[in-house]
Amino acid sequence: MRYQLGIVGGGPAGMMAALIGDRFGIKTILIDDNPALGGQLIKQTHKFFGSKDHYCGYRGFQIGSILREEIAKSKVEVITSATVTGIYPGFILGLHHKERYQEVGCDAVIVATGAKEKFLIFENNDLPGVYGAGAVQTLMNVYGVFPGRRALMIGSGNIGLIVTYQLLQAGVEVPFLVEILPEIGGWFVHAAKIARAGTRILTSHTIISALGEEEVEGAVIAKVDDQFHPVSGSEVTIDVDLICLAVGLSPLSDLLWQVGCRMEFIPELGGYLAWHNERMETTVPGLYVAGDVAGIEEATTAMLEGKVAAISAVSHLLGPSDELSAMQREIIRELDDLRSGDFSQVVSRGLRRLYDRP
Amino acid sequence: MSARISKGYITHHPIIEFKRGKKVKFFFEGQVLEGYEGEPIAAALHANGIKVLSYSVRYQRPRGFFCAVGKCASCLMEVDGRENVMVCMEPLREGMRVRRQRR
Amino acid sequence: MKSDFSEEKKIVCRCEDLTAAEIIKKIKEGYHTFDELKRVIRCGAGMCQGRTCRDLIMKLLAQHLNRRIEDLPHPTIRPPIKPIPLKSFQ
Repeated sequence: MRYQLGIVGGGPAGMMAALIGDRFGIKTILIDDNPALGGQLIKQTHKFFGSKDHYCGYRGFQIGSILREEIAKSKVEVITSATVTGIYPGFILGLHHKERYQEVGCDAVIVATGAKEKFLIFENNDLPGVYGAGAVQTLMNVYGVFPGRRALMIGSGNIGLIVTYQLLQAGVEVPFLVEILPEIGGWFVHAAKIARAGTRILTSHTIISALGEEEVEGAVIAKVDDQFHPVSGSEVTIDVDLICLAVGLSPLSDLLWQVGCRMEFIPELGGYLAWHNERMETTVPGLYVAGDVAGIEEATTAMLEGKVAAISAVSHLLGPSDELSAMQREIIRELDDLRSGDFSQVVSRGLRRLYDRP
Repeated sequence: MSARISKGYITHHPIIEFKRGKKVKFFFEGQVLEGYEGEPIAAALHANGIKVLSYSVRYQRPRGFFCAVGKCASCLMEVDGRENVMVCMEPLREGMRVRRQRR
Repeated sequence: MKSDFSEEKKIVCRCEDLTAAEIIKKIKEGYHTFDELKRVIRCGAGMCQGRTCRDLIMKLLAQHLNRRIEDLPHPTIRPPIKPIPLKSFQ
């Protein structure tokens, strides 16, 4: 089977890219390794900001449903529970699906594989009950499983703050959130909300150890000095049965390394990612990136990047046109607007560093 | 905030209405447990209080899932005789036989 | 402050069950890239193919060699990027 456009990853970026491809009559296949499309939108229960065009006021999982319905009505071919295991010359995608390996040829490819959660080194960090914050979100927000009685949150970025709030909503006590840096990483509004609900945010603190034989029964936290070393004597043992790690995400870029894209290390965007320009073109002609794999941000920018990448792919497949480039310029302008606020300083700095490397 | 919990599941949530499959029985290490059809096996096990999904290869340390989205491979179990099934992604079906892997 | 025993309980590579202490020991023995470490102790060769440990090990290498992560060679990523049972090729 041959397709004009292959999209790897059916989250906000990939779904949006597929809809654009379809709108221009491109024969598109959308591949995702989860049982259903939606990516991480399916576990996001907070309302989105931005304008009406960006699904403002909707919750993440509602946006996921809307896009899924639009894709169901389109001509996009969808394969779920399928893993792309390699991209070979001529854009042949190796695909593992239903215990069978097969290959699918494409004329252009958009990689929108998202991100992976970072792990952290501390004593007993592998004890059952030490979960990624995203894992806990999936468990409780998608499947309604009660994740634990009392939780310790590690990390005060927006994910740590938002998941803390969601834990509280689900009836989990969250007595402490520890942050190794001297300041809270995420937005003040989110931090204020959980502080009001009773969570103590301890900056310049870290986790020393998870306690328990077979699963988490407690944790030891401690103050750190300005070199981030634990201060001896400051250790406190707390009673928790769940430890959530919200210590950052990094782009899931294995396919991009494998295919030979030039990679750049940009800590502001989560680590290594494929070099790309504002049109989401990588150093491999015909291969584009969108969403968290192109730098860790959030779902609104991921959807817009998905549109930009798809327009680049359509131009590559059908030839450039004034209509396409005008449309693309408009979306890039929207992205610039979204990233112009104080909240996006770090991402903007990272993107400038990326674009400055020709 | 007014969540209600019953048997490991959130039955009432201030924002989310959970759409669950039908109740099914499955086996974990020979014992009969209940879960909802279509939810990941790891979710059903966690709701039943089972967090230890395997013991590690060298030190036999208890291991649970970590990422729950099919990336970290910490949740590999034997399901209906198939080895290395990622139970954080594998939907639960009636009568499934789930075991910790012997290595 | 902490005993060696606690260092043994800090897991870096979950798949192959490798502790921070074991990885640091190998770095000190002269294995200075991720791929060299992978060949001697199998870090990143397990079922997750390094998706969980790679960032941590690159950080440990950078710390102990006093270099920046981006100045260290990145591990080679080969297909298949996720293990496929041989049965699937039949």
